[in-house]
Amino acid sequence: MIQFYLTALQMALCLGPMAMGIFITMKVFNIPDITTDGSYTLGAAITAILLVQQVPVAVALPASMLAGALAGTCTGIIHTKLKIDALLSGILVMTALYSVNLVVMGRSNIPLIGTDSIFIKSDWLGNELNGQLMTAFIVAGLVAGLLVYLLRTDFGIAMRASGNNPVMTKALGVNNDSIRIIGLAMSNALTALSGFLVTQYQGFTDINMGIGIVITGLGSVLVADALRQWFKIKKITHQLLLVVLGCMVFQAVLAFTLSIGIDPNLLKLVTALFVLLIVALPRITAVANPKK
Amino acid sequence: MLVLNNISKIYNPGSEDQVTALHKVSLEVKTGEFLVVVGTNGSGKSTLLNLILGTQFPTQGTISINGKNIGHLPEYKRSPWVSMVFQNPSNGTAPELTILENFRLAALRTGKKGLGIGIGQAFRMSVAEKIATLGMGLENKLDQLMGSLSGGQRQALTLLMGVMDKTSLLLMDEPTAALDPKSAQVVMQLAQKINREMGITVILITHSMKDALQYGDRLLMFDSGNIVKDLNKDAKALLALPQILEWFA
Repeated sequence: MIQFYLTALQMALCLGPMAMGIFITMKVFNIPDITTDGSYTLGAAITAILLVQQVPVAVALPASMLAGALAGTCTGIIHTKLKIDALLSGILVMTALYSVNLVVMGRSNIPLIGTDSIFIKSDWLGNELNGQLMTAFIVAGLVAGLLVYLLRTDFGIAMRASGNNPVMTKALGVNNDSIRIIGLAMSNALTALSGFLVTQYQGFTDINMGIGIVITGLGSVLVADALRQWFKIKKITHQLLLVVLGCMVFQAVLAFTLSIGIDPNLLKLVTALFVLLIVALPRITAVANPKK
Repeated sequence: MLVLNNISKIYNPGSEDQVTALHKVSLEVKTGEFLVVVGTNGSGKSTLLNLILGTQFPTQGTISINGKNIGHLPEYKRSPWVSMVFQNPSNGTAPELTILENFRLAALRTGKKGLGIGIGQAFRMSVAEKIATLGMGLENKLDQLMGSLSGGQRQALTLLMGVMDKTSLLLMDEPTAALDPKSAQVVMQLAQKINREMGITVILITHSMKDALQYGDRLLMFDSGNIVKDLNKDAKALLALPQILEWFA
């Protein structure tokens, strides 16, 4: 049973970069970006196709992130330069990416057998699962550390202010369009990084692996938001770290539903219901306690 | 010096809804001048400020500051010359950032927003020193979120933020409209201090005729997109409230 939850923890750490990416678009920039479903699979597809051709992991990692960044850049350009709603821009790029991913993969499923992997190199701890966990932990930790630093920099302050009050930032010399495009590129590069990790973790890439993944990221951010409100956390850097925790809680809930015997076919339904519950809970509480 | 040459602004040109907000307006504002602009709603005074700030572009004419033509530049590229205090205190600050972070961004208005951490002890001290001059006790609350402050406090801070980095021109669009009388007085006195001590040109739009008489060294009145009165300091000093109210009759 513990092994089961450790596997969920491993998955949470692999999906952590994506959740942090969604935090950037959703909470920092106030942009509902659903390019995620496509850029996640894109990261996985690029990884798989390179690893199958015996390209080292060290090359596959930046290549997949760069592809994700390009996808995010497309969404950003459509949104800011063509003035198309962010949600629609994301849907357009996500839809286009389905075909792009199929072209990249050449078929709908690529198994990774006998290929290089970021996880295989981590069996130095003796136990394979421990090694995998440690690898995922190090990657998620590095990403979180870099983002925490970034958000505290002058550029990070401009990013946050741009999402918070674009009228003000324009008057303060910030090019809101450019900074939004950079934010979307960064977010989708992180999503592709999750695709890179998960495809190696599960040992294959599937064209449909990204369907609904944005809900998982969104759910993690919402769990983090609920935790932020409960613990009255104001610092943005702490909020970012809560997103990784939110991702763990989210995966733990899914693992729990499977462990009590719920049909795996209903997993997406359970995911959606869980997210709905998180979103609705504060409103239900407010209705129940109007004086609060 | 700010020079507006033959500026017109027409909204929805060629349609049934066509409105001429400004009609061939020419204006020179000397460096260090404190210009007060009054006029009825829809007279074109806010359009004038928007054209200088860059949120809108003129249909015709040129705008230049210190000889540099800025009329075609987007708003964010005019920041080396122009800073703005909005009517709504919420527009001038980022509520989810701390006071210090807001000031950091203001200090970089003309500079590069790079990947270094610019908020250090020295910066904190210099911001605290500037904020202390307001006498609002905010210098000890630099890590507080801007959104937790009152409108008056935010507007005063916006004004200070406007001069954190070099600027030639401070635009103020009814900055006291949403403030209580005491906060309004603090903001106006601060604007006057900035104008006198730093030599920064100020253009103030106001509906308060009391402020129009008390502050500034030149008074303009707009009506139907035209400048209909232009009084220098001496002529303005001779004005009384009933006379200025008569202009609106």
